[in-house]
Amino acid sequence: MHIEAQERDDVLLRRSAKGDEEAFTELYRRHQAPLYRFALRMSGNVWAAEEIVQDAFMTLIREPKKFDPERGALRSFLYGITRNRVLKHLERTPRESLHEQIDEDGIGQRGMASESLTPAEWAEVGERREQVRAAVLKLPVEFREAVVLCGLEELSYEEAARLLDCPVGTIRSRLHRGRALLLAKLEMLRDAPKRAGASR
Amino acid sequence: MTCEEFELAGLDLESLQQAVPAHKAAREHLRSCPRCAALHENWQTLRADLHAVGAETQDAEAPSRVEMRLRQEFRTRHKTEKAQRAAVFAGWTLAAATVVLAAVSWVNWRHENGKGSTPSAVNSAQGVNTNKTTPAGPELGETIVAANDAGEFTLLPGSFPGMLEDATVVRVQMQRGALSALGLTVNEERAADLIQVDLLVGDDGQPQALRLAQNTN
Repeated sequence: MHIEAQERDDVLLRRSAKGDEEAFTELYRRHQAPLYRFALRMSGNVWAAEEIVQDAFMTLIREPKKFDPERGALRSFLYGITRNRVLKHLERTPRESLHEQIDEDGIGQRGMASESLTPAEWAEVGERREQVRAAVLKLPVEFREAVVLCGLEELSYEEAARLLDCPVGTIRSRLHRGRALLLAKLEMLRDAPKRAGASR
Repeated sequence: MTCEEFELAGLDLESLQQAVPAHKAAREHLRSCPRCAALHENWQTLRADLHAVGAETQDAEAPSRVEMRLRQEFRTRHKTEKAQRAAVFAGWTLAAATVVLAAVSWVNWRHENGKGSTPSAVNSAQGVNTNKTTPAGPELGETIVAANDAGEFTLLPGSFPGMLEDATVVRVQMQRGALSALGLTVNEERAADLIQVDLLVGDDGQPQALRLAQNTN
């Protein structure tokens, strides 16, 4: 059956529920990437992100009626499931093992190859980004969500509020607090070598 | 603007329209407060760092194996559902067929029981007092012959004794050969003879039984 490029999500979901595989595949391809990025940036783990996204879409296959178009967009619904799975994963995972695997697929190296840097500069930039990534993964979950959506995914406050189903003011205050915590953490990390040198 | 107000408003400094008063006040405060100027610079650096970290994964997608697994699950699930629906449908169809078969069997059984009983006397509206009828339908291989006994009606093929309630006796004159149209066997040599026949006519106007009238040869 032909899929129109702009066919609505709820229409595709109804067709998928009746056994139209093409409709389900279209839904998956439309929404999987942002969900995967969110899961990856929140968990710092490619395997966990893969499993979380798979779980979210399994829910669509097994319980399509759980989605109510009156209550919001399908993407928000999928984000809700993804969030819950991420939270469960984080509860099970020791904090020390976070951000261990995000570079397994060389994802962390992307975006650096094209910059014309000396090896020393490259190393410094790499270290800095690693520090930022680690600091984000150490934020409390509610602040981390705001930073991931508005700082990394660069969504607007309104878009992030819709996805997390909370007021815009809540997003602003969480982002503000998250950035403050990040700055404090990064300041500590950057000052640590200076303090170590001063104490000798 | 105070430092506290700047901390709240300065978060959105880049996205504020230049004409908005809050933007102007924030810019003014930046020029006059070194602490907030340093904070703003840190924010800018952090924003750039977050943008760079975000760019590292901006094209990240779930691996193709996830799509394969999901599609496999989709097919299995819908095949199972189809099979379940087919099984339920088959079950109901079988049940309905069983009910129909039972009903037909019951009707046939009633019909067979009705054939085996002796027909009761029938009183016509025209005052015929005693009308006896022979059992409906011939046995296999038997020929129905119109009885010459004035007191006895012969049921025509396809008639049942029950149909003779409220039947009317009609005397008609007809050629003997016409009796074959009623399912009776007739002597061909005498087919042209005119005879008088008493017909028992049912509510539907169809003859159900007959006898030859007394003065017929």
